[in-house]
Amino acid sequence: MADATFRLRVTYGKTGRLRFLSHLEVARACERTVRRAGLEYAVTQGFNQRMKLAFGPALPVGTAGTAEVYDVWLKRFVAPDAVLGLLRAATPEGLSPVRAHYAGEREASVAAAFTLADYEVVIGHPDRGPGRLAEAIGDVVSSGVLEMEHKGARKVYDLAICLPEGVRVREEDGRSVASLTVRMGAQGSLRPDALVREALRRAGMSDELMSVTRTGLRPEEARA
Amino acid sequence: MTDLWSEVEPLLAHVERPARYIDSEFGAVHRPDAGYRAALLYPDTYELGMANQAIAILYERLNGLEDVAAERVYVPWKDMGDAMRAAGVPLFTLESVTAVRSCDLFGITIPYELTCTNVCEALDLAGIPLRAVDRSEADPVVVGGGPCAFNPEPVADFFDAILVGEGEDAVAEIVDAHRAAKSQGLSRTDTLRALARVPGVYVPSLYEPAGADRPARPREGSGAPAQVVKRVVADLGAFRAPVCPVVPFMDVIHDRANVEVLRGCTRGCRFCQAGMIYRPVRERTADAIVRDALAQLRCTGQEELSLTSLSTTDHSDIEDVLRRLSAALRGRAVTVSLPSLRLDSFGIDMARLVAAGSRGGLTFAPEAGTQRLRDVINKNITEDDLLGTVRVAYGEGWRRLKLYFMIGLPTETDEDVRGIGELVSRVLAIAREVTPPAERGGIRIAVSVSTFVPKSHTPFQWEGQLTLAQVQDRQRVLRETMPRKGVDLHWHDSEVSFLEGTLARGGRDLSRVIERVWRSGGGFDAWTEVFSLARWMEAFDAEGIDPVALASVPRGLDMPLPWDHISSGVTKVYLALERRRALETTVTPDCSFGGCTACGVCPALGVDIVLAGESRG
Repeated sequence: MADATFRLRVTYGKTGRLRFLSHLEVARACERTVRRAGLEYAVTQGFNQRMKLAFGPALPVGTAGTAEVYDVWLKRFVAPDAVLGLLRAATPEGLSPVRAHYAGEREASVAAAFTLADYEVVIGHPDRGPGRLAEAIGDVVSSGVLEMEHKGARKVYDLAICLPEGVRVREEDGRSVASLTVRMGAQGSLRPDALVREALRRAGMSDELMSVTRTGLRPEEARA
Repeated sequence: MTDLWSEVEPLLAHVERPARYIDSEFGAVHRPDAGYRAALLYPDTYELGMANQAIAILYERLNGLEDVAAERVYVPWKDMGDAMRAAGVPLFTLESVTAVRSCDLFGITIPYELTCTNVCEALDLAGIPLRAVDRSEADPVVVGGGPCAFNPEPVADFFDAILVGEGEDAVAEIVDAHRAAKSQGLSRTDTLRALARVPGVYVPSLYEPAGADRPARPREGSGAPAQVVKRVVADLGAFRAPVCPVVPFMDVIHDRANVEVLRGCTRGCRFCQAGMIYRPVRERTADAIVRDALAQLRCTGQEELSLTSLSTTDHSDIEDVLRRLSAALRGRAVTVSLPSLRLDSFGIDMARLVAAGSRGGLTFAPEAGTQRLRDVINKNITEDDLLGTVRVAYGEGWRRLKLYFMIGLPTETDEDVRGIGELVSRVLAIAREVTPPAERGGIRIAVSVSTFVPKSHTPFQWEGQLTLAQVQDRQRVLRETMPRKGVDLHWHDSEVSFLEGTLARGGRDLSRVIERVWRSGGGFDAWTEVFSLARWMEAFDAEGIDPVALASVPRGLDMPLPWDHISSGVTKVYLALERRRALETTVTPDCSFGGCTACGVCPALGVDIVLAGESRG
C-alpha cells in the first residue's frame, strides 16, 4: 500500500519583476522552494523520480498573478501556518505564498478545478478616460468574435463563451483599469491583453497597456 | 549609483526570454551600500554563464569582503542589445541595475576563445572604450581571467589587467591593491603598475608583445615581472564550495548544485590544456565534499548534484563520498551526476552507486581509435579497458553510451581514423552480445568527433592543425568506416575548430581582427546559428594576417611563442620532452598515482599534490 500523503494547496503571487517568468520557470522555482523549505515531499514513481506537484493554469510571460495555485503532496502533515512560514522564508520576493491549506485527495486537480480567471488590465491614457475605453471594449465584445494569430496559428474566440461576466472599467490613479473574467477551456483561453489591444486598435487609440494581472482563479459555480 | 530599472523594464516586453535580465533569484546578493563595486561578466548570455563555477566562486568571495559588492553581468542577446542601444540604456549589472561603467572594477572571465567578440560587445554597450589605452580615469579597471588568460595576447589590448590562474586569494588582493590606489589618488597608469605587483596579474600595457624572434618582455622601467606565474590555491580545503549560489529561474546549462571535488588532473593527456594549467591535483576531503554538497542542496533546493572536476572518479575517496551521498539523498528525488567516468570496472561501480537503480547514459572518452595514437596522446587506456567496461555496462542494463573521439591528432593517419569506426563496431558487437535479444533495439551509441586544436601550454603547442580540406578528407574516411545502425555520429563544426585554433595560439595583433569582426556585426560566435567564418576570413584578410599559417603551420621548438611570458608552472622543457615522448609513442604515468614526472609545477609554485585518501588506484 502506498504511504499516506497530504495534499497541500499553496496560493502564491507572481508579481513585480517576476511577472516576466514563464510558466515552466515558475514551476521550477516553486519546486525548489519546497525543497529549500525542508518539507518532506512525496515523489512520483518511475524512471525519473520527481516531486509530486501540480500547477494551476499557466500565466503568460509578462502577466502578473496575485492568487496563483499549486498542489504539493507532503509525506508528513505540517500545520498550514507553519508551512506558509517555511515556504515564505525560502521563496524569492515576487513569488511569495499568501495562503496554504490542505485539499482533499478526491478534489479535482488544480488544472481542472478552476475554469474562470479574473484579470485586471491597466491602461495608461489618462487623457481619454475610462468611458472611452469601456466603449471600445464593448464594441469588440458586442461584435461577438475575436480573431487573432498566436505563434503562427489562427485562433477564433467566441466572446460570449470566453467572457461570461462582461467587462468593467474604472479609473484609478489616473489610469484606466479594465476588470474581466475569462472562461478557460481545453482550446486555450482568451488573453485579456489581446482583447484590450484589439479594442484600442479598432478605436484608433494608442497602445499604452501598462500591466496585466490575474487576480483570481475560481470554479464556475462558486460565483453568486 | 543610479538604478536603471525604470529604463530597462519597458524593453522587456519586446525581447526574448526577459528572465535573463530581471535578477531577483534566490541567492542573489544585494549590497547597495558597499563602497567598492565589482561587476562580473560572463561573456555570453545568462543561460550559458549563469552556472559558471568560477563566477560563482568569485561572486561569493568578493561579496564576503568588507564594503565590497560583486554583481553579475551577462551579454544581452542581440534583440536586447539593439533595444538598449536604441533606448540609450548602457550595459547594467543585474543586482542593482547599475551602469557597469560606474563600477570600480569590471571583471571578465574568458572561458573560451570564441567569446572574444562578446568582450567587445560588452565593453561597447557599457560605454567603456574597447582598448585599455583609450580609457580615462573615470572608467573601471577591466580585469580578465579564466582559461584563455594562459594565452591572453589576442585579447590583451582590451584589458587593463589579466589574472593568470586561480582567483580565490588573488581577487581579494586585486581589490585591496585597487582600493589602496584609489585612496592614494593614483593615476590610472600608476594604478595599473600597482596591480602588476600582485602576483599572477599581467598588465598587458606594461609589456612589449612578442615579435618573430623574441618573446614578450616588460617595458623598460615598468617594474612588471619578466614572467607572470599563475596563481594556485595550495589547499582547496581552505575554501568551501559556494554554499548558497544563485538559483536561476531560467533553464540554464549545468543548472544544478555543483561541488568541486578536486582540482587539477595529472593523467597527462598531451592534447589537454586543462590537464597542464590546473596542476597539481588537490582533492577535497570526503567530509568536506559531503558537507558542502548537502549544504548547497539544502540552500538552493536544486534537484541535481554534480561532483565536478576534470576526473572525479580518480578522487581517492570517491566511493566513500558516493555511498554517503546516496544514503543521505535516498527518497528525495535528487540525482547525483559524475561529469566523467574512468574507463574500467571501478568507473561502472561508481556509476551504479549514483544511478540508484535507474540506467541513464554513460560517457567515455577514448579520444583515438588505435592504441598507437592513444599512446601518442598519452591516453592511458587500452581497447580491452573500453570493451571490458562496455561488456559490464550493457550486461548491467545500460543501453545508451556516448563516446568522444578526436581527429587531426599529431601523427594521425587514415588508419587511425578508420580505427575509430572499427572500435565503435567492436563496441556495438559486445553491446549486442550481452544484451537480451528483446532489448537490442534500444542500443544506441552516440559518437561525438571533434577536431584537434593545439593549445598553448601543452606538449602539442608547437603542432600544426589540420586545414579545413584535410578535416573534410578525414571526416569522409570516418563516415565510410563508421557503422550506421545503432550509431548517431556527431561532428564538432570544423570551421569553428579552425577559428578556435587561430585564436588559441595567436598573438597581440589578433585584437585588430577581433575588433574588426565585432564592428562588422560579429558576436555570439559560440552560437552555431550566428557563427560566420566568412566574416572572420574577411577580417583576417583586411588585417593582413594569414589564419591558415597561424593555425596549421607547425612552429619550431626554438621559436618564441606569444605566451612565453605566461607561466603555468609546467616548464617548457617538460612540454618539449613530452612532445618527444609522444612522437616516440612512449607513455608517461600519472604522478598522482605513481612517482613525480618532473613537470615542474610543484617546486615552481611551492605546492604539492593533495590527496584526501591514502592513495589513488
